Amino acid sequence: MALIRRGIHRLGYARIAVKDSRLLKTREFYTREMGLLETGVEPNRVMFRCWHEPYKFSFVVDQSDKPGLVEIGLHVRDDIDLENFHRKLAAAGVAVDAAEADTELKGLGKSIAFDVPAGPRIRLFADIQQLGYVSGFEGPDWVAPKAIRGTAAPLNINHVAITSPDPERCSAFLADMLGFLTSEKIVDEKGKTISALLFRMAKNVGGQEIAIYPGTEVKLHHIAFTKEDSSDILSDGYFLRSDGVELDLLGPLRQPYGNTFSVHFFDYCGVRLELCAVGRMTEVHPEIQPVVWSTSNLREALSYYDEALVPEEFFMPCL
Amino acid sequence: MAVSRLSYLSIRALDLAASEKHYTEVIGLRVTGRSPGQVYLQAHEAQDHHCIILNASDRAGLDHVGFKVNDPNDLNEAEAGAKAWGLKTHRVAAGNIMGQGEGLGIELPSGHTFNLFYHSEKVGYSYGMKDPDIILENLNGVWPVTHLDHTLLAGNDCDKTAKFLQEVLDFSLTECIHGPDGNPFAFFLTVSNTIHNVAFAPGPPNSLHHIAFYVSDRADVIRRVDMLKHRKVATFDYGISRHGVAGVTTVYFHDPSGNRNEFQCGVYEGSVVRNKIPPIVWAGENIPRGVFYYESAVLANFFEVVT
Repeated sequence: MALIRRGIHRLGYARIAVKDSRLLKTREFYTREMGLLETGVEPNRVMFRCWHEPYKFSFVVDQSDKPGLVEIGLHVRDDIDLENFHRKLAAAGVAVDAAEADTELKGLGKSIAFDVPAGPRIRLFADIQQLGYVSGFEGPDWVAPKAIRGTAAPLNINHVAITSPDPERCSAFLADMLGFLTSEKIVDEKGKTISALLFRMAKNVGGQEIAIYPGTEVKLHHIAFTKEDSSDILSDGYFLRSDGVELDLLGPLRQPYGNTFSVHFFDYCGVRLELCAVGRMTEVHPEIQPVVWSTSNLREALSYYDEALVPEEFFMPCL
Repeated sequence: MAVSRLSYLSIRALDLAASEKHYTEVIGLRVTGRSPGQVYLQAHEAQDHHCIILNASDRAGLDHVGFKVNDPNDLNEAEAGAKAWGLKTHRVAAGNIMGQGEGLGIELPSGHTFNLFYHSEKVGYSYGMKDPDIILENLNGVWPVTHLDHTLLAGNDCDKTAKFLQEVLDFSLTECIHGPDGNPFAFFLTVSNTIHNVAFAPGPPNSLHHIAFYVSDRADVIRRVDMLKHRKVATFDYGISRHGVAGVTTVYFHDPSGNRNEFQCGVYEGSVVRNKIPPIVWAGENIPRGVFYYESAVLANFFEVVT
């Protein structure tokens, strides 16, 4: 007899597609400005990981004529989880595509993928190639490698935000089928959810792996990466500005919705990115309670500082 | 299902009023309940009933540690698992601990008791759960800690304890410290995506090395060290430091009973998926750097003084 943590354990990766011949602009931006580590280059694909991550990739960019979010990769415990999810999804009438190891992405174990109603495509996997920690497993320094100091050099991928024409339906599917929980949500006057921050990871500072915002169609809103704390966000802002990268919104942002401190900006292909610190403590427990925001307090929820922030503009997707 | 979170530490206080003052004014917790000889406290950004229980006592140290599980049936599973290991267990009636449902006490080889339970009454975040203004006022000079982060316990049979926690309660071993004989003697374990929730190091049975509280940024750790000095709360010799283990910014000090506290900040996500990532090993000349990174030295009293 033993307890066992089952299901989705962590956000594995975000995979997007951009129009960028030979991905030259992408490679330049993510290595020189973001400070990610390039871990795989193919003619029409490049893979990156953050320096604090032990797995092969957490961010994949494909060259394509159809830019957008390709899929969100979620890491489950083992093949039993994969089989359980496959069975459950199929029983609910969801079309599931199974892929053998190394077929969909090099370094990824066998996986299953499906489309979330009014939501993103999701791929579940139990195995991914390990490169190990940059600083090794024996007395690691936990200090960013010298080559990427002076760049954003985030520690981990944090969350993926999308727009959805039906955030309530999308978040209900993620909850019922994949066990996601809600740390915060925004509800309209009729009690309908127009936005939700969902998690499966148990983190002391986090609160979300998938953020759902209102929109006319399913599109990428942004991809967020984790920084150690709020002061880092300020210095990242000036590193980026000094290289001419434009910051989105009104600069550094204290966001009550999600309880984060962050800065948003765009890569050379128009992908909105976020560097964020702090966020809610999360617990994978049925009794956890979300913070609930009213649409009448939307502006205050999205930014504590910037009274000029326009929620409709904030919710605009990218790509 | 599984253990979902380190929930609380029930500790002993020589002078209940002085301890309450310490945990509210120096740490920045709020009082969420009282009963004769007991004070219950919680951090402002945690929603369960308590993260610290102070028990009036004639000695310092630990009473027990509380962990939550995310399925009520987990208590039966854990009970059977503990019994199979020959460990003593007992049931704790609902309400016996304020704001808490039924629990299962497990007496670990290290001498500590873990109380597993499913239900906690919700006190919510201090600023409320609906349209909150996330800034708090009237804080006695300190920005409050956000939550209880982890604890380091000292005891005997740490290796057996760590093994039980991994095999029966599904903890993951993320880091360990090896002795000159090549065997691990200190174990850092997690039930979450944080690199450790509980750690064990050798010492007298059922001892407490420290209780760590999370603060939002490193600048806040600096201000807190300033405030500890200003308030004449003795800190560990190095003042502010950084652990090589987990890479967090830290300061140690003691509550009025002598129980060690820590303020710490750092993103130390473990990328934890059970059995996927091997544990990080601290051994030989790496150990001083692992314990105190800037100083790369370990003062003997850091490990020797426990309550």
